[in-house]
Amino acid sequence: MNPRLRAPLLLSLLSVMLAACAPAASPSASGAVLASPSATPDTTPRFPISLTDDAGRVVTIPVEPTRIISLAPSNTEIVCVLGGCDRLVGVTDFDDYPAQVADVPKVVVATQVDVEKVVAANPQLILAAGNELTPTTVINRLSGLGYPVLVLYPQTLDKLYADIHLVDQALLGRTLGAGNASSVVDALRAREQAVALTVAGAGRPRTFYEVGVFQGTIYTAGADSFLASLISIAGGAPITGDPLSTSIQLEQLVAADPQLILLGDAAYDPTITPQTVAARAGWAGMTAVVDGRVTVVPEDPVITRPGPRIIDGLEALARAIHPELYR
Amino acid sequence: MRAAATTSPRFVARPSLTRAWLVLGGGGALLLLALLAAVAIGSVGVGVGETAAILGRRLLALPLPVTWSPAAETIIFELRLPRVLTAMLVGGGLAMAGTVFQALLRNPMADPYIIGTAAGASLGAIIGILAPVLLPALAVGAGTAWLGLGVVQLFAFAGGIGTVLLVYAVARANGRVPVVTLLLTGYAVSSVLAAGVALLMFLSGRALGAIFGWLMGSLAGASWPSLAFAAPLLAASFGLLLLRWRRLNVLLLGDAQAAHLGVEVEREKLILTMLATLATSAAVAISGTIGFVGLVVPHLLRLATGPDHRLLLPASLLYGAALLTLADLGARLAGGIPVGIVTALLGAPFFIWLLRRSRSLVSGTTQ
Amino acid sequence: MTVAVGIEPLVAARGLVAGYPLAHGGRREVLRGLDLALRRGEMVALLGTNGSGKTTLLRTFAGTLAPDGGSVTFDGREIATWRRDALARRIAVLPQQVDLPAGFRVAELVAMGRAPHAQRLFASTADDERAIARALLDADAADLADRPAEELSGGERQRLLVAMALAQEPDLLLLDEPTLHLDLAHQVSLLAAIRRMRDQRGLTVLAVLHDLNLAAAFAPRVAVLDQGRVVADGPPGEVLVPDLVRRVFGVAVDEALTPDGRRHLALRGI
Repeated sequence: MNPRLRAPLLLSLLSVMLAACAPAASPSASGAVLASPSATPDTTPRFPISLTDDAGRVVTIPVEPTRIISLAPSNTEIVCVLGGCDRLVGVTDFDDYPAQVADVPKVVVATQVDVEKVVAANPQLILAAGNELTPTTVINRLSGLGYPVLVLYPQTLDKLYADIHLVDQALLGRTLGAGNASSVVDALRAREQAVALTVAGAGRPRTFYEVGVFQGTIYTAGADSFLASLISIAGGAPITGDPLSTSIQLEQLVAADPQLILLGDAAYDPTITPQTVAARAGWAGMTAVVDGRVTVVPEDPVITRPGPRIIDGLEALARAIHPELYR
Repeated sequence: MRAAATTSPRFVARPSLTRAWLVLGGGGALLLLALLAAVAIGSVGVGVGETAAILGRRLLALPLPVTWSPAAETIIFELRLPRVLTAMLVGGGLAMAGTVFQALLRNPMADPYIIGTAAGASLGAIIGILAPVLLPALAVGAGTAWLGLGVVQLFAFAGGIGTVLLVYAVARANGRVPVVTLLLTGYAVSSVLAAGVALLMFLSGRALGAIFGWLMGSLAGASWPSLAFAAPLLAASFGLLLLRWRRLNVLLLGDAQAAHLGVEVEREKLILTMLATLATSAAVAISGTIGFVGLVVPHLLRLATGPDHRLLLPASLLYGAALLTLADLGARLAGGIPVGIVTALLGAPFFIWLLRRSRSLVSGTTQ
Repeated sequence: MTVAVGIEPLVAARGLVAGYPLAHGGRREVLRGLDLALRRGEMVALLGTNGSGKTTLLRTFAGTLAPDGGSVTFDGREIATWRRDALARRIAVLPQQVDLPAGFRVAELVAMGRAPHAQRLFASTADDERAIARALLDADAADLADRPAEELSGGERQRLLVAMALAQEPDLLLLDEPTLHLDLAHQVSLLAAIRRMRDQRGLTVLAVLHDLNLAAAFAPRVAVLDQGRVVADGPPGEVLVPDLVRRVFGVAVDEALTPDGRRHLALRGI
């Protein structure tokens, strides 16, 4: 490949990726469900325990892990919501929640996993992210060194609940449902059902969620993606992009004619406002723009982070899609 | 008869002999220094004495008491040592392949990737990276290794070799492969493959980071198994290329004169191309497309040693190895950025400075 | 001159047809049924108009251009059956043009003439050193040995190339316009050197020349090519007559005798 052609292309695409992983602009307003670590004192840990992770790998954890490394902010939040926050000995530099992880050593810097630092932390469990957020090479490398690496890649709320149970088992060596995951999941599920109940019977506006626009390429929720399912639950009819690239062409978007435009990228870029969107060539005629239904979604960081706070994001989406029901 | 003819003064070997030992000795010393520094230094501090003791125990089976943590031993022996050795092999391989291609193509812009290796290996690697993402059925097997290698490395290796074979076959006409046709064919085929690379990157979603790291070149994936795959291939091509120094020199005189001097020109060009491609593909498979080493090191050494491949080939091996080892150390200390960024960031300005200092470089030929 | 000329031909073309592929298929034959044989120790000047096939003939003799018809034999064997390196130990060529790579000293380039004889993987042998030294002296290039090749003048460059060819220690020396770009003094000294080497080493020499008088002074035998065939072959005194020159070159010349009785061709005015 011609390196002169390659570098600008790579850099522009990298910026897409970095933007997608950018740290939250502001901490979420609503609190997470923090369970007590000693909720079920009667169940004895059973280690070693073998678990099947989201990559279909069977992972054996030999002893109760008191030294845990999280390679993704969503994993960190799952560990902490289960009360395992003080077991974390390594997190990423994107981690911003809960506040106490600020003091945990950063073993992932600028998306690069520093394997030496992971090894030096002497972890008993490593929680990786799927879909190449943690590169497969790194997962293979760490597994190859003998560390139990659990890959988490929930793509629906139900999968997320299952993963919370999975991490609970990994943390405490308990059989499914015996840990404090149940109370956590029950609370999350109750909030999900409350949202569904609220929007039930209401109209389902054609909703376009803008993840970002780079070099004229528009990124949104991919077809069948987690984000698209959240929009559906929150009472919208998602306008989705290509399932792989998650991009949508402008003329497709014009043809789909969104009744509501949600600006997730405005959480990171103050120049993206309903006014600048209306001024974009080709956007002025969309129903959402004509009706003035272009809304900034500052909760994008929790909407796109598959951890327990995603329910905060779901509620924020429902409020944005159906403000009339939340008055 | 002239009486002087019988005294046979030594016209050839003497004057360059000391320079040769200076260059090779200096390269060897630099490489050793780079090796020690790169194993001893990293993002996690392990004492020099401890490092030496770990290496002594693991490599030389010295009966030293274990005073270090298992983590320290893993860092030195499983992470740093294979990474440093990989950097040496890859750097040496790229520099040597660059030397060969610059001579073979009589083109100062030639680097190891010029006739399609990089584009082919990149496409292969990206297909390897994306296969589990695009075909979830493969995801279960993503962790499996074959010959101690992942799908990515194997595809990259095959892509590099396969592309050069294709380019060579397309460029061949009337049993000959003219240099200009080879270069242009390589460029055209590379462009097609680059378009495929760009398309897959566009579709790659989250895997873009992995692809980006691969394209910029990174030694973060270095391990003993990948080294065990690449080292024999690289060592074999090193040996066979070193033995061909005379033919490379003679080829500098042009195809016709090389034939007059006993070189089976077309066959030799194919052999040299494939040996250099073997080294390049093996290097790229385990490190990604690291730029600049293969372009700059041959030029720097030609300035220092002259164009004689008897000295140029081994020197490019040593200095290429040392350079990449140090560049990778820099990359690790800079927070694990891809080493290709370091080689370009530091190598290019140095190269420009050197170009401006010396007037008579660049071209391998006067015409 | 007391060089023993052998009976068996060292190199011979019989009914030779040779040429080059055309851009859009087919071939353009340059040699069309050519016969020429050189015996060991012979020194022959090859003359002819541009395009008459002189360089093509040299290529077939060097084995770098395969005949389309007829045969070329070297030392009694079909030239195509020779290995390239074996041939290079016996035949040296001074082409019209050679790329001289920058950065080499003259002696290093002359040493490349030893490539077909290489015995050790990395070092040169005492035989190599001797051959290089002798070639440099014989080609009057010893004073150039330490000079960078890119600094040489046209005449010095030609001496370097002759030295490279001699370092091959060939039996047959093929010279394609060796006097090109040389002034008169250098033309004479180069041809004198070649004749001296032929006398000393028993070389067989075939040299493409353009100057008819120079050819006559240099070679005991001249062959004239026209349209891919040998149209005249013999001692210069018998071959180079005004009639042939007019027929082959289309130029009118007068024959004159020098005061010491040698024949000379003079252009009849322009």
